[in-house]
Amino acid sequence: MKELRMILYKELIHIVRDKITLFLVLAIPIMLVLLFGFTISTEIRNAQIAILDQAKDGQSASLIDKISSSGYFQIVAYPETESEIDRDFKEIDIKLALIIPPDFEHALEKDKMATLQVINDVSDLNVASILNNYLLAITHDYINEYNNMGEETGSVEIVTNMLYNPESNSVYMFVPGIITLIMIIVTALMSSITLAREKETGTMNMLLITPVKKVYVIIGKVIPYMCLSLISTIMIIVISVFVFKMPVNGSIWLLLLLCIVFMFTAASFGMMISAISKTQIDAMMVTMMGLFLPTVLLSGFLFPLDNMPMFFQVLADVFPAKWFIIAIKDVMIKGSGFFDIWKYLGILILMAIILITISLTNVDKRK
Amino acid sequence: MPEIAIQHINKRFGKVQALKDINITVENGEVFGLVGPDGAGKSTMFNILTTLLKPDSGEVEVLGMDVVKDYLQIRQVIGYLPGVFSLYPDLSVQENLAFFATMYKSSILDNMSLIKPIWKQLVPFKDRPAGKLSGGMKQKLALCCALIHKPKLLFLDEPTTGVDPVSRREFWDILKDIQHKGVTVVVSTPYMDEATRCDRIALIQNGEIIKIDTPNKIISNFRGHLFTMKTDDIFGLMQLMEQFELRCNYYPYGEHFHIAFYDDVEKALPAFEEFLQQHEREHGEIKPITPNIEDCFIELIQMK
Amino acid sequence: MQSIVAKDLTKKFGDFTAVNHINFEVEKGEIFGFLGANGAGKTTAIKMMSGLLLPTSGDALIGGYSIKTESKQIKKHIGYMSQRFSLYNDLTVFENMQLFGTVYGIPPKELKQRIHDSLDHLDLLEQKNALVASIPLGWKQKLAFATAILHRPEIVFLDEPTSGVDPIVRREFWKLIYRAAAQGITIFVTTHYMDEAEYCHRISIMSDGCLKLIGTPDELKQQMGVNSIDEVFVKFVNR
Repeated sequence: MKELRMILYKELIHIVRDKITLFLVLAIPIMLVLLFGFTISTEIRNAQIAILDQAKDGQSASLIDKISSSGYFQIVAYPETESEIDRDFKEIDIKLALIIPPDFEHALEKDKMATLQVINDVSDLNVASILNNYLLAITHDYINEYNNMGEETGSVEIVTNMLYNPESNSVYMFVPGIITLIMIIVTALMSSITLAREKETGTMNMLLITPVKKVYVIIGKVIPYMCLSLISTIMIIVISVFVFKMPVNGSIWLLLLLCIVFMFTAASFGMMISAISKTQIDAMMVTMMGLFLPTVLLSGFLFPLDNMPMFFQVLADVFPAKWFIIAIKDVMIKGSGFFDIWKYLGILILMAIILITISLTNVDKRK
Repeated sequence: MPEIAIQHINKRFGKVQALKDINITVENGEVFGLVGPDGAGKSTMFNILTTLLKPDSGEVEVLGMDVVKDYLQIRQVIGYLPGVFSLYPDLSVQENLAFFATMYKSSILDNMSLIKPIWKQLVPFKDRPAGKLSGGMKQKLALCCALIHKPKLLFLDEPTTGVDPVSRREFWDILKDIQHKGVTVVVSTPYMDEATRCDRIALIQNGEIIKIDTPNKIISNFRGHLFTMKTDDIFGLMQLMEQFELRCNYYPYGEHFHIAFYDDVEKALPAFEEFLQQHEREHGEIKPITPNIEDCFIELIQMK
Repeated sequence: MQSIVAKDLTKKFGDFTAVNHINFEVEKGEIFGFLGANGAGKTTAIKMMSGLLLPTSGDALIGGYSIKTESKQIKKHIGYMSQRFSLYNDLTVFENMQLFGTVYGIPPKELKQRIHDSLDHLDLLEQKNALVASIPLGWKQKLAFATAILHRPEIVFLDEPTSGVDPIVRREFWKLIYRAAAQGITIFVTTHYMDEAEYCHRISIMSDGCLKLIGTPDELKQQMGVNSIDEVFVKFVNR
């Protein structure tokens, strides 16, 4: 155990003395979140929209009035049919279309429950999401005023349809995405580079000819970078929650557990990469091409997996990021509990075990 | 029982036969040198002896243990100084030493006796990052790290490459001291002139052992006769020598011209003098000189 | 005629004087050994002489060109070969020579002829299209030297040219160097290996930024009363 402590201490010295890397590892996640966060919260005014008013009653008229006087929206078309909405999206480039059902007033007053339909152009996800939130807020205001007028209470449900990018149902998708990338960079990339560095400088051989257990060498490499990556992750979550009001609907402990498990898998990936690369450049290239790029492309956070050819969907299953993103979304947004995501945790742990076994057999492979 | 017994080992990397049927025995307490040019197979040999590599065939016993089967036990009793600086450059001198001491389940204080004379020189720099030491100091630190667990056998792979002559001399003196403290030393070098510092040497070339003996015996077994003379226009003489018919080896040596005759020196030397006269070459006295290991190395290769 | 004339050549880095008023001359066609312990100022002096670094004071004429004002000219008239970097392993013998020859502005036709002659002399014509990676170490060394003098420089700087090389190849290599010197190329050798120094016509030893000793190997040995340059060096440094 003393040896492991020593290896950890040595690794800590490497990290602390390499000021530039340390700064980058800690600062980049914050910069990324702030960048995305502030881009997302930009206010939009006078967005061009279309309203298909099928009800044409008093309630619908005053709702439309409220919307147009809000300042956020400019109603540029009143289509008569749904196919005209389609035309408006294509020809006059509206950002959003609202459909008020024929029985709006009746539903609101008699059934206490009305349904509005919103169609978004989601080619710009941020804009779409912000507009939805505005519309939601205006409608709620409207219902509150209506309720306060002494009548019986009613409520409105809004059904949104995403056009052009149906998978993306929340801007907050970016936060899980950033967390994933940061963890891949810090844990997989850093640990694989530093292990390759030991090979390059010959210190690996020095370690190998000592009687120290190889598991210690590996664990000693992995733990410090996992800690570093955990710090980054916590910073991202804190900023997202407190600065950008990102919801964490599930248990925060489950979220942390999930992150630690994923980090472990990422680190094992890093170990395996360094087992097959001889130099730092090799390690970097393999991590970038073999892990980072697939994570960006195949994890489903930038490009929806459902639309991909079968081959890529199967390929995506092999990389841990996909499973992590599903799980972290479930925990943060849906508020899922342990028993909802244990399957994903299992997959990640299984991957880690396989990878660690491969790298352990490779580290002291005498030919 | 010899400290190291190498029997018929072969090692191949792809198309390259790095070691061909090597047989070496190293005795307890000696400084054994593996002398040969770059690419001769010295490092491969060291990697096998230090259990980092397995031979393709043949047997190697280090302190009676098999390098393939008992590699974990061997690692505990050997020290290794690799050919390139292999310590952590961002760790200080003391941190490096403490690190390797812990890896051997030992501590700096436990084993001070063996490394004390070297460590004393390092103490003024103990807080300096190892990467910022001078070449000679780096080597001393690496040596301390390799000796921190009191190994019975010390392997040094080209320890003097890139080190200036003064530090180099000092380093060899340190090795003698370590030898006197009961450690068997196996060292490799591409520098023929360092061979005389070893008790016994193996001359190695293209993965084959050419000769194993004490340096003195190798020199006294030199079969040719080596002469030196001063002359102007050495290059002109070299061109002229292409016309000289007897078997000989000649090479420029600063202001001097060296020539070695192999057969029947009584005839060859007068023939050479006559040859010089014929071509009206001015030259100084032709004096016999003692060959060095390099001359012997060349002779042994040419004899094969 | 002198190939190198150093006059009070000095370089300071802040308070530290790396090269301190050194004066020496090297004849055309001379093999000159430049020795010194690590940190003695050798590298700084060579950088100045090859036009990579400006002197703080003093000057040196390299092939008649001042290092202060004509560093561009100097770069055209010097060659360089080090044991560490010399040729690209993934190019063929011919491609390597073509590359370096073109860099020095040798016209293509002329270059082809020179490469042919040079390989012919080294008996490497058959290896012309072989990858450098595939040829033996000793040949590489000879090839690197031939490449370094392809543009017929006034002076060629050699950094430990034969350390670690097979003894037979090494002697052949020195014959090449002597040949180049006989053709009028000045050879400037820096090395840690005193047996390499023995091959030089004249040697100098630097210490603490100053040029302390200069002379033929025999002169220096006599001066110090010892038998080898190695002993000269050790005796000198310990003095």
